Amino acid sequence: MCGIVGVFHSDGKLPDARLFASCVERLRRRGSDDSGLWSDPNVRLGHRRLAVVDLSPAGHQPMESHDGRYVIVFNGEIYNHQELRSRLTPADGWRGSSDTETLLEAYRAWGVDCLQKLNGMFAFAIWDRLERRMFIARDRVGVKPLYYGYNGRLFAFGSRPGAIAPLLGATGSDPDPEALRLYLELGYIPAPLSFYRQVRKLRPGHYMLIDARALNIARYWDYRHIPPDTTLRNRPEGELVEELDSLIRQSVRLRLMSDVPLGAFLSGGVDSAMIVAAMKASGVSAPKTFTIAFQEEAYNEGPEAAAIARTIGVEHVTETHSVSDLLALLPMYVEEQDEPFADSSAFATMAVARLARRHVTVALTGDGGDELFGGYHYYPLADRLSRMTRWPRGLRMLLQGVAGYMPNHRAKLLAGALRLNGGVEAFNYLRSFAKDFPPLVTPTVLEQTASSRDWFEQAAASFALDLTSAETGMRLDLGFMLPDGYLHKVDTATMAFSLEARCPLTDYRLVEWAMRLPVEYKLRGGQTKYLLKKALCRYLPPDQVYRRKRGFGVPVAEWLRGPLRNWALDLLHDTSLTSRLPLEHERVRQLFDLHVSGARNAHPLLWAVLMLLCYVARHDRNAELPDFGTHKAA
Amino acid sequence: MLLTETFGDGGIQRFNRTFLSACDRLDVECEVLSLVDVESARSRWNAPASMRIHVFARNKPKFALATSAAILRGGYDFIIVGHINLIELVALNVWIRRHGRVLLVAHGIEVWSGISDSNRRRSFAAVDLILSVSQYTRERMRDQLPELTTERFTIFPNALNESWIGRFALAEPVELPIPLPEKYLLSVTRLDRGERYKGIISVIEALAMLRDASIHYVIAGRGEDQPFLQQVAQRFAISDRVHFLGSVSDSQLARLYRECAAFVLPSGKEGFGIVFLEAMFFSAPVIAAREKGAVDVVQDGQTGLLVRYGDTMALAESMNRVLNDTALRSRISANGRASVLEGGPFTFDAYVKRLADIFNVPLRAKDA
Repeated sequence: MCGIVGVFHSDGKLPDARLFASCVERLRRRGSDDSGLWSDPNVRLGHRRLAVVDLSPAGHQPMESHDGRYVIVFNGEIYNHQELRSRLTPADGWRGSSDTETLLEAYRAWGVDCLQKLNGMFAFAIWDRLERRMFIARDRVGVKPLYYGYNGRLFAFGSRPGAIAPLLGATGSDPDPEALRLYLELGYIPAPLSFYRQVRKLRPGHYMLIDARALNIARYWDYRHIPPDTTLRNRPEGELVEELDSLIRQSVRLRLMSDVPLGAFLSGGVDSAMIVAAMKASGVSAPKTFTIAFQEEAYNEGPEAAAIARTIGVEHVTETHSVSDLLALLPMYVEEQDEPFADSSAFATMAVARLARRHVTVALTGDGGDELFGGYHYYPLADRLSRMTRWPRGLRMLLQGVAGYMPNHRAKLLAGALRLNGGVEAFNYLRSFAKDFPPLVTPTVLEQTASSRDWFEQAAASFALDLTSAETGMRLDLGFMLPDGYLHKVDTATMAFSLEARCPLTDYRLVEWAMRLPVEYKLRGGQTKYLLKKALCRYLPPDQVYRRKRGFGVPVAEWLRGPLRNWALDLLHDTSLTSRLPLEHERVRQLFDLHVSGARNAHPLLWAVLMLLCYVARHDRNAELPDFGTHKAA
Repeated sequence: MLLTETFGDGGIQRFNRTFLSACDRLDVECEVLSLVDVESARSRWNAPASMRIHVFARNKPKFALATSAAILRGGYDFIIVGHINLIELVALNVWIRRHGRVLLVAHGIEVWSGISDSNRRRSFAAVDLILSVSQYTRERMRDQLPELTTERFTIFPNALNESWIGRFALAEPVELPIPLPEKYLLSVTRLDRGERYKGIISVIEALAMLRDASIHYVIAGRGEDQPFLQQVAQRFAISDRVHFLGSVSDSQLARLYRECAAFVLPSGKEGFGIVFLEAMFFSAPVIAAREKGAVDVVQDGQTGLLVRYGDTMALAESMNRVLNDTALRSRISANGRASVLEGGPFTFDAYVKRLADIFNVPLRAKDA
């Protein structure tokens, strides 16, 4: 777990060495153990290291191959690197035991095809000094981030957009209009966009080759066209449960490779319980598990998590907070985000990362389970809505009129849904913060940009044919929300505390298997994650598996009506901030009033706007964050 | 013959015209009722003199009345239903039985689902023989209505219309709305929002993955989805290499086919794919998706390349192979062309012969 940054200029007009070093410094939190710089006439590479595997200096980066031809900077882990080593024979033998060295030799032996053989989370760059060509790749599912910018001559890449923006002369004060619009619709910025106009995010499963002539981007792994395998229906369910369980155990076992102490997040939900059970079953003697408990009953999963830990027989560390304590993390949250990011559950993730870091350096998480195995409540809803879109138009218009007049939030949502056409639109409606609210960006932005619906429709058009709306939604989430939302959140939150997170459920073999799994093993009779829960029943009694899922979020809706109301109003009326953004400010304030009045719930959208304003305050005006200490929840 | 439309641009319209031309060649006299067409569109196609074509400008009641009147009048050897949506109109014939056989033409997507509701199901009793453009279409129909035995079907693949070839073979090089890039891939398709399965998005993505930045992509055809697709190209930063021509004339189309480096349409739901035949006629190497009716038309590795639908990596690789492997390109373009020329399965002659067998009429010696 590290941070990387680099630049390439074909004519050698590289940025100043001190500027470059300061960019590497911006990655300090990603790697607190070591740092390194490397340069030649066309390239500078920088690295911050968090030592997890091969703690010796032999793991130092940037690392040159023994013959000096290749130089690498690498962030992540190659979990199968021991197996790859057995298939490689470097001319001068191995110098150390790091996966970085393995990766270098894998590229030498197999070229770009080495990507097909890697199992891991990674973002790396290998500079070929002989061919004068840079090879950059990101892992299949997008666990590790990689940003880049190219102005035709100068190419820069790095783990954070903030680390490369100065190299490209980019600032966040002139945001990419499409990124801004999508952020306000989704709460995150989908790859390849970033908040900076000049910076792009390399999409998961893609690699790039850059030399003096061209920059070329290509995909090397694709889950999109893997169709559900209907023959699986003919197999006994027990067999499928066994197969799933053993795949998860394999993925977990691979991710136990570490020379430092290792634990896991445990939330009380199905995914993290499955990971912890698999750790235990893989022979980890006493894995430590971490949970943030809340004083407020409605949000507290602490007791459930503790019960699960007891049943599985693992050591369990809990820290209890008041939900509003999490707000103390806001300044750090904004500091660590180089782009606005609106998922309020990031606070809880940061809190658990902070707790875990006191005990371990590596923690396993359950991320990916919901997207792969159908965990979100809106998947069955997407199917229902999409059936509704096929009702006769007249009937829908009539119902829409009726529902629109009803005073309750759900009826209003239904009225909006009756206007939809088709499954992807239904999914977008359920996912999007924008719902049927008037757009908050200016008409100019609207005109220049595509909506999240356009993005989803474009993506869905290349999926395997004949998927249900729910299946389409899961695949869209796997392509967008998982990497750009949740995995981004986990990476940023854990990096902020120099903790390495590993997500076994994102193992590509599991992803491919999940794509082949017909939808009725994911959603059945109103139940989500059907098969995964069956697998978990091998380790836990049913009452611990089939509990009602508690929201992992924080009570933003109530906060905005109560303790954070004044803080929010201050931000929304601070014209020195709002004037920097192409937003319809009056509409934003009206939306806030509408929310506070209780007529509609618009907190996801409002929270996105508030986080955006905090981001602008911190990164553009470089001011201290507006103080909400005085407004803070009692 | 009951047709939805005869004079338009789409695949079904072209099928209908080919069918009528074949009837003409067989000296089979036809009375055609065409629902959607208007009088002014007639001039777009030079109909054979033996055809009596009545147009109804979407007037459904009038169309239904005229159909019923014709059936009551009687005397036809065959009633040909050109589209599943018109099938209920011939149910009357079951009671009256004043005609010979009823044939239904099954093109593709329109019969792949929704034919098993009880009304439709009953109407199938009136149909003696189904002319299915591909094996896939037949199987999809049988999945829904198992009572349709294979004997009720005949596989009736499309062919290049004789007059189409006549016009194209003679077409002079014409100007196009843009200067043609030196090396380009071509798609010919409608661009409708509801037809994103055509795979244009995949081609754009695959184009962005090609290392050779001198390859362009030309799309002929219009539709409301064009702005969206332009956005997609923009997002992949290759909008300068993706060209939307809108509708083009037949002779413009001929030039596009003739000069393209490859014809690419990795569509997921092609009932048959007459455009593949057109491309083959001009010796353009064809890349299609291994889906539905396209499998009947394109023999993988022989008359074209097939890739998995939605697999952009495989698509990019096939595009690379066709662009760079000269031996492969000349082999598939030669084989492709042979399949639409004399002796091949998709020639107009072969089509006429199939129709002669169905009508049980003798083949007329070809006009000297």
